[in-house]
Amino acid sequence: MPSDTSLIWLILSLNLAALPHFSYQPLWVALLFLSMMSWRSLAIWQHWPLPGRQHRTLSLVQWVVAAGAGLLMLDSYGNFIGRDAGTALLIVMVGLKVVEIRNHRDYYISCFLGYFLVVTNFLYSQSIPIAALMLVIIILMTSCLISLNDIKQVLSKMAQLKLASKMLLQAIPLMLILFVLFPRIAGPLWGLPQDAHTAQTGISNSMSLGKISELIQSDAVAFRVKFDQTMPAGHELYWRGPVLWNTDGTTWRELTLPSHSEPRPPIISTTGQPSIYTVTLEPHNEHWLFALDVPTVFPTSFGASLAYGGELLSRKPIKQRTQYQLSSNTRFSMNPDTDHYLNEALILPKGFHPRTRALAEEWRQKAKSPEDIIDMALNHFNQQPFYYTLTPPALTGDTIDGFLFESGKGFCEHYAASFTVLMRAAGIPTRVVTGYQGGEINPVDGYLVVRQRDAHAWTEVWLQDRGWVRIDPTAAVSQDRIELGMSELLPNALRAPLFFSQSEQLIDIWQQLRNNWDAVNNAWNRSILAYGPELQKSFLSKLGMINPNWQSMAITLFAAFSLILLITSAVLLYPRREPDPVVATYQQFCQRFVKLGLVARYAHEGPIDFARRMTHALPHYQTDIGHITAQYISLRYDQSVSSIAEFKHSVKHFKPNK
Amino acid sequence: MNAISQLYRRFNTLRGRRVFILPTRFGVLYGGFLLLILLAAINYSNSLGHILCFLLASMGQLAIHYTYRNMAKIELLGAYSEPCFLGQAIPFYCRFDNPSRHDCLHLHVASKQSNERSWNPFKNVTGFQYQPHQTVDVLTGQQTTAHCITVPSTHRGQQTIGQIRLSTRFPFGLFDTWTYFTPACAALVYPNPIGHLPLPSSTNDGQSHHGIQRKGVDDFSGLQPYRDGDPMHAIAWKAMARDDVLRTKQFSSSLSGQFVLSWHATASLTDTESRLSQLCRWVLDSESHGLAYGLVLPNMTIEVDRGNAHQQRCLTALALYD
Repeated sequence: MPSDTSLIWLILSLNLAALPHFSYQPLWVALLFLSMMSWRSLAIWQHWPLPGRQHRTLSLVQWVVAAGAGLLMLDSYGNFIGRDAGTALLIVMVGLKVVEIRNHRDYYISCFLGYFLVVTNFLYSQSIPIAALMLVIIILMTSCLISLNDIKQVLSKMAQLKLASKMLLQAIPLMLILFVLFPRIAGPLWGLPQDAHTAQTGISNSMSLGKISELIQSDAVAFRVKFDQTMPAGHELYWRGPVLWNTDGTTWRELTLPSHSEPRPPIISTTGQPSIYTVTLEPHNEHWLFALDVPTVFPTSFGASLAYGGELLSRKPIKQRTQYQLSSNTRFSMNPDTDHYLNEALILPKGFHPRTRALAEEWRQKAKSPEDIIDMALNHFNQQPFYYTLTPPALTGDTIDGFLFESGKGFCEHYAASFTVLMRAAGIPTRVVTGYQGGEINPVDGYLVVRQRDAHAWTEVWLQDRGWVRIDPTAAVSQDRIELGMSELLPNALRAPLFFSQSEQLIDIWQQLRNNWDAVNNAWNRSILAYGPELQKSFLSKLGMINPNWQSMAITLFAAFSLILLITSAVLLYPRREPDPVVATYQQFCQRFVKLGLVARYAHEGPIDFARRMTHALPHYQTDIGHITAQYISLRYDQSVSSIAEFKHSVKHFKPNK
Repeated sequence: MNAISQLYRRFNTLRGRRVFILPTRFGVLYGGFLLLILLAAINYSNSLGHILCFLLASMGQLAIHYTYRNMAKIELLGAYSEPCFLGQAIPFYCRFDNPSRHDCLHLHVASKQSNERSWNPFKNVTGFQYQPHQTVDVLTGQQTTAHCITVPSTHRGQQTIGQIRLSTRFPFGLFDTWTYFTPACAALVYPNPIGHLPLPSSTNDGQSHHGIQRKGVDDFSGLQPYRDGDPMHAIAWKAMARDDVLRTKQFSSSLSGQFVLSWHATASLTDTESRLSQLCRWVLDSESHGLAYGLVLPNMTIEVDRGNAHQQRCLTALALYD
């Protein structure tokens, strides 16, 4: 039977390991787990009965609870596999197991289940704080194992924790070697359940007025970009996402092609120097890969292809942090001669936006060329009372008419949508492009960080011989949004959390802290979390391994493993001889005379003879030498109780000079 | 062939004691859990899952070293025992020396119970025939401590301690490391002191020791300073309470009450062991009554005397009789 102390610590560690799960598991999982833990704790403190031979009814209760948990699980998840259901099952199992710990075997199993709980936490979040918490839990869990084997609790809990931490630190070298060299296999080994990845916020494949402005509340990173050489100017940083063509008057959607037609990628011609950059995209569970406008060179590794709107799409939804290198030109022309889908860019739903259509008709009659109409529209936005606001008023009825002729207050999607309607009504093919605009350079590591709040919507018009030309109507209203970036426009309350939003200095401090933290996170993501089969190959090549395949990795791993084993056994098992402190101190004392140029103690010379010779050479120190020698003799040859500390003290303060 | 075995023996001496280590069933279970964690990490391409698996594997590897270190350096300097009666447990005092700087915790001491071999080779490895005796909680670094092992007595006469198995699972219980010692130590087992025959009286012993005046139990004749071997019941406790000096009360008596415990007096018992047991009972009874007695065995005779030394001499003769 494990001791009460070790049980209490086990309960504590398991609670801590299960705690992060409670935020998304159904309430009954948490309640069941906590009540089982309380039952066991009360059994320790208040001697509550536990299920077992003496209390068969309680065993029955436990079975009923287990069966009930199974039914609830079926009700919540429909099965027992998958990430969420599996975790719930594990938590329930741990809870029930702790109640029935009767012997060492049960305790070991609970401990090992605790280690497994740690890994399930990583399936939900691999952030630095979670990793730190899990490290604490591993130490606690290991100290529980020590406590179990320390039957009489000879070691204090502090000593057990210290031993566990020491072992953890000593385990790091081998862990690193395994981490770097263990041949990585690209997962999944079997089909991943549907819920394998947490749903992410981000740009969606449709746009309605007021939808993008929800994203400005989010400080989350959308992607990070590292430019190889120079970065284009801030107002050129348009990160193209889904291109929207179809509208029903309120919502804009992607083009739905007839199933038999083949998608035709656009024809791109570029001028000038391309920018080469690497994007690290956070998972968003959608297909698009954000690129600086239209990429000319893109990887084919994950089935990336250009869609007809010039957006880069991957074959599979992005469910993990993904890195890809691209090359883009900010000066380009897309489909200058014709576009297969031009007609789609002219359709407006019948019977909507009468006032907008009337205005567009008026402009078309006045204008000589499509460019004139565009200028008129932009001037209209610029000179009429239009405001760029992060909190646009809710619109009812015909939202485009309502925005253009009544409220005049809108966010980027209001301007993009109404501009597109105006252009289409005036006979110019126009489409809405959503994505991100701008981003912030983190001065700590030089990465451009694009956050969800940088989400943006703009338009493209098709002009004969020029192809699709980007027009950003938001720029006509608020030049700052494009020139300075989103973060400058945000109110203080959105730029920094509560305490820091009080003054400009505090916001600066906050942003600096955030930059540092973000750089750390970026490094963590790039070097640790992204370490998979591909990164392993490139890293090992950089280290000098020629053609790293699993065979060569296994051989190197074996060699490194043996080396580490040798070193650990040498460090841990080599008998280190510690000299007798008394002798060591006396040798220090003798060394003091050598420094003065006197002849060192002969091998045959006893302490008394040595003292006599030294007193002869340094008569001033007769008392000191005599005193120390007497102390030494008494400590060394006498069973008397002279204090070593006193002897050390007198030697320390003995500083002879000639 | 002889040369090779000599070489092998020499190699063994140089190498030192053999220390064995194997994972316990919990160690195997731990490995299984690590495999599960690795599978989960691979399936979900989870980097921190990989790290956790490797960290735990690395800690498991360290556990081998820690468990080994917790015992490998310990030496059994020697063992001594106290005589006991058949049926009692023999206390063997083993002096363990821990020359390393670390404290060694939770060692199990067991001794070999029988030379029987099991058909199952694993049983010999896991030490089924070693009966656990004691858990040594701590062997402080650079210290020698004596620990008592009790072994049930099996037969009269010399009983050796046999093979000692020292094992430990500390700190994790994932590995079990053990080693064997065979200290040269034998305990003397006296016969079991049972028997219902009455104590032979002094009159029918057939021999006389008239005229010898010796100190006895009959009449108090004074106090003398205590000497080793004086019986406990003769110590003058009251006098000691006064001035903290141990004295022995002296009595004068004639040896009229003396008698000889003879092998032949137990003729009514057929079995050798029962006769020895009866004699043993008599020796103890006579000594506790403060009587002087002699012992006659078919192969030896011990003169009449009394006192601890005499009693031990008699009991040893009974123990070693064959």
